[in-house]
Amino acid sequence: MRRPARPWARRLAGFALVLAAAGVHAEPYLAVANGYKCGQCHVNPSGGGERTPFGEVFAQTTLPARHLDTGGDLWTGQLNRFVSLGGDLRYDFQAQQLPKATTTNQFELQPTRVYLQASVIPERLIVYADEQVAPGGALNREAWGLFWSADHSWYLKGGQMYLPFGLRLEDQTALVKELTGINMTTPDKGLEFGWLRGHWDAQVAVSNGTAGGGTSSNGKQESVQVSFVEPLWRLGLAANFNGASAEGSREAYGLFGGLKTGPIAWLAEADYVQDHSLPAGPGGGQKKLATLLEANYSPARGHNLKVTWEYLDPDRELANDAQTRWSFVYELTPIQFVQLRAGARLNDGIPQLPAQHLKLYFVELHGFF
Amino acid sequence: MHYQQLRRCGAPLAAALLAACAGNGEGLNANGQPSAPGTVPATPLAANFQAIQDNVFTPICVHCHSGAAAPQGLQLDAAHSYALLVGVPSAESSGLERVKPGDPDHSYLVLKLQGSPGIVGAQMPFGGPYLPQSTIDFIRQWITDGALDNGPPSANADFALAATSPPNHAIVPVSPRPLLAAFNHEVDFSLVNNTTLYLERVTPAGVQGLPGGSTFTLAPGNPRTVLVRPAVPLAPGTYRLRLRGLGPAALADLNAQALGSDYVSDFTVAEAR
Repeated sequence: MRRPARPWARRLAGFALVLAAAGVHAEPYLAVANGYKCGQCHVNPSGGGERTPFGEVFAQTTLPARHLDTGGDLWTGQLNRFVSLGGDLRYDFQAQQLPKATTTNQFELQPTRVYLQASVIPERLIVYADEQVAPGGALNREAWGLFWSADHSWYLKGGQMYLPFGLRLEDQTALVKELTGINMTTPDKGLEFGWLRGHWDAQVAVSNGTAGGGTSSNGKQESVQVSFVEPLWRLGLAANFNGASAEGSREAYGLFGGLKTGPIAWLAEADYVQDHSLPAGPGGGQKKLATLLEANYSPARGHNLKVTWEYLDPDRELANDAQTRWSFVYELTPIQFVQLRAGARLNDGIPQLPAQHLKLYFVELHGFF
Repeated sequence: MHYQQLRRCGAPLAAALLAACAGNGEGLNANGQPSAPGTVPATPLAANFQAIQDNVFTPICVHCHSGAAAPQGLQLDAAHSYALLVGVPSAESSGLERVKPGDPDHSYLVLKLQGSPGIVGAQMPFGGPYLPQSTIDFIRQWITDGALDNGPPSANADFALAATSPPNHAIVPVSPRPLLAAFNHEVDFSLVNNTTLYLERVTPAGVQGLPGGSTFTLAPGNPRTVLVRPAVPLAPGTYRLRLRGLGPAALADLNAQALGSDYVSDFTVAEAR
């Protein structure tokens, strides 16, 4: 006998269907395509990790090409009123091709993550953990507590967390993410204050600045991010100052944004880094620049073609050393919780370094809940 | 803002971004560094440290493992890599050394490059391309052969302190064992003792020595790095590691070149909670 749908699940499903009618989708490009802020679909107000009940329902009813009927009951991650669970698993087959080398290929398990959230005071106080459980040994990525103001216009977060800086992309190997060293593999321990009012989002964080290193120092890392979100476009500024190294400070500045033009959602980011701990002058690598431009074309529900162009100048004081990368990724979400991805990432760099000419081809199964 | 306006704004931005393309490598050597007249050609890959630095660490790893934000504090540029690898405990897996001379199977560097079971985090290089086994085999062979340093002739540079662990001004949660002082040259170990390299406790009442002093060893296979083990675990508080570089009892390298100045590195052991 089928259980009757829970009232909240019905409400969420109904809400999602309304959104579906408006043509909504998910991830940074989905946020751009729908004019959402990151916290709309993610527990973390600055994005990534466990999805909110809204994000879960969205991912089941709007994202996939076809919704397999589950009888009106939808998974929202909520085990009960206080505890919720989520996860991401990525498994791929990839081939890597380098100049003058034999092409290698392998099956590979990408980082698999489990998220757990305890809303110890519903809507006000949450405790959250993001644990990487495979491959290899377990590794805690995030563990924080977050206190919301009564009207959710500000929050205070403390613990180990991803730092706010630019677009929180799915691809952690993106050149902008490598350049800044601020991504979802380098959480830091600290405090974050967030302010969310109308179209505005802002975060200020103070952290150890050791990128997951075992020790911390009296010098600290400060991160500031401000973004303005409109239904069709968004623009953000980010800055990061890291004084944790005794050898010199490091500054990073980012400009990022999104734009929706018909069926295409554009993402762009430009980051500049000046690292005073590195030698000055040509070859020292003290000043660096990376940019990203991405177009996401969704011809139909459940389908997305992602074309990304990236540029990296690893040393602004040195000529002829730039690198680029083109990515072409097709994403099919046939049913809820399942995504198939296939793509190619084509790197180009200086002729002297074969590793800068890597061609990577992959097919990936992405399961999420 | 209307759709047409947005399109007009977006197109020039996209065109400007796409105008940039990959460098042609002119004026750069095989490591992507500036070519200088008389520069020695890049070392072909072989089972020695210089070749591994030139062919692996410098062109591949230093993109991320350099500067203030190097993951796990591991800087792999030529100035730091040897001192921070050989005989140094791994930050991710404390039971293993990053490079254990003579034992590649228990060297965390090798395990990370191979993606071996039990590593913490991702296989390196992060996101690929992963090193071919033939390249890893050179690294394994270098470690099997004792992980010796045939690095660049820092003998021309003044003898200096390259790094300490904990680093200057660090706050560590527990008493560090061992502490580490890494130099840019092979140190004359006969000069290392509790008068040339010593720990003091810094208190509001002043600076005081530690009971029992410390014992010293060279990092296994890495005569540039001295491991310092205090006789007693360090209680919460602030400590100062002093290195004597001046005077007749100064630390020196094997060419009797003294440090040239005294070094001080402070760190704090945090209060247990």
